[in-house]
Amino acid sequence: MDKPVKKLHSLTIDEDKCVGCVLCMKACPTKAIRVRTGKAVILSERCVDCGECYRVCPHEAVVPQTTSFSDLKRFKYTVALPSPVLYTQFGWEVMPNQVLLALRKIGFDYVVDLAWVCEKVNAAYEIFLKEDKGPRPRISTVCPAVVRLVSFLYPELAENMMPIDVPREVLARNLRKKLAQEKGFKEEEIGIIHITSCSAKMVSINNPIGLSKSSLDGAIAISDIYADLLEVIEDMDEDIILQQSSGVGLGWGKSGGEVNGINLDNCLAVSGVSDVIQILDDVEAGKLKDIQYLECLVCPDGCIGGPQVVENRHIAKKRSENLVKMFGERSRVSRKVIRRLYQENYFFLEKGMERHPLPPLDPDPVKALKKRQRIEELIPQLGGKECGACGAPDCKTLARDIVRGEARLEDCVFVTQNK
Amino acid sequence: MSEQVLFQKSFQIKGNDFASAGEASVQIKNILKEVGFDSSVIRRVAVASYEAEMNVVMYGGGGKVTLRVNPEDVILIVEDKGPGIPDVTKAMQEGYSTATDEMREMGFGAGMGLPNIKRNSDELKIDTAAGKGTRLEIHIKRAVNNG
Repeated sequence: MDKPVKKLHSLTIDEDKCVGCVLCMKACPTKAIRVRTGKAVILSERCVDCGECYRVCPHEAVVPQTTSFSDLKRFKYTVALPSPVLYTQFGWEVMPNQVLLALRKIGFDYVVDLAWVCEKVNAAYEIFLKEDKGPRPRISTVCPAVVRLVSFLYPELAENMMPIDVPREVLARNLRKKLAQEKGFKEEEIGIIHITSCSAKMVSINNPIGLSKSSLDGAIAISDIYADLLEVIEDMDEDIILQQSSGVGLGWGKSGGEVNGINLDNCLAVSGVSDVIQILDDVEAGKLKDIQYLECLVCPDGCIGGPQVVENRHIAKKRSENLVKMFGERSRVSRKVIRRLYQENYFFLEKGMERHPLPPLDPDPVKALKKRQRIEELIPQLGGKECGACGAPDCKTLARDIVRGEARLEDCVFVTQNK
Repeated sequence: MSEQVLFQKSFQIKGNDFASAGEASVQIKNILKEVGFDSSVIRRVAVASYEAEMNVVMYGGGGKVTLRVNPEDVILIVEDKGPGIPDVTKAMQEGYSTATDEMREMGFGAGMGLPNIKRNSDELKIDTAAGKGTRLEIHIKRAVNNG
């Protein structure tokens, strides 16, 4: 087991807004929320930052921590790395290059087409999968929530995770050195910011898994920067070309994008948190050994279905498909260059995937088993209505909390009613 | 032999119900995760229980799997009242399968069921009789690991 980490999260509860209802607790796929003394509480060790609670809260009480535009003032030179999702947010006529130019117009000093790096990483995936003799399927590390899901709840699958780093980190760490040299700034004076639909990116920046330190300085939500971009986007002249990617890189962000860029059979894409959990169960049961690569993204339809987008995800999906068609599915990266970078370790994660399994019911395995048996005995005593009134998402979880000493039998309204 | 049983739970398995097939194995695996067993043990149990569960679904016409944990090992007892295994020696050979075309179309029938169970267990007892059913007792040693 790896050393315990302090599990920081990108989602917090605003206690002034929280009314203590059960919606977020019920929606949480890892049972990481309880309602205690009338307010929702996130259990740090179980939360994978998937954002489901944020989506369902009607009171805006779940607050994602992202970087605000004004935070960038502390840097002398700012760089934007937009997720390909951003290209799908502004109508059918707006092209990726316009979006990149608009980012410059609103104040970023330097803008890079991250989709281009997605395309490079795709080529590196292909080299790796052809050479690798490790366990199958290899699982994507692109989604920070999937990385946490595996690290906390499926630690035995850590060895299946791709050892290649995600495009945003690969780009950021190489770009910082390059820009410092070229532009004459100190490395820390450069702020490299990811523009994203994802509420989990901040946690992967502040508290990375597989890296000792992230190379990014922050993440701005697409929904926070949308209005500023919309104002200038129509007027962008197209003389300067910032877009380098083809449809291969542009397709990232939508479920299937990574898989589409790998020229190998038996690569599979899964999206949506419950489908991802189900497929990870299948992998653990040894069912998917004939699959080479498994792209897992917890948001429905991938990052375009992220919690912090503006556009309807079905429309965004169609736009993404249109862009792929328009710019072609033939990768523009030079395989020779990628092969060289690959050998120089350009793409690889600094350390392997770390395992941070949930703490057992008891440190003593014999006691843990007895406690687990006690859970089985408790469950029939609880109402079985799965109502959540006790403050736990379901009866089984309440039983677990009781044996762990975190709740009491009397918390169940059906137990007290029958007394 | 009376071993101290620390945990025991049975799960019903429905015959020919491919839609919910594998659910018992997921629950078994999750229980072992909760008690903090070593991941290599969990993985072996997960694979063995899944294969055994699928056999009960496909051939056994339904039955049950019991997870029993004693201080030394994890035991899976898998019982069905199906037709029994006509030739155990053959069934233990990799690649030998009596799967129907229908099962093969669904990706089963590679003839790895029992061999896979055997490979992932420390001890495997097979008790089968024509027309009476099959009982598997799968023992997997619980590596002592408190870390």
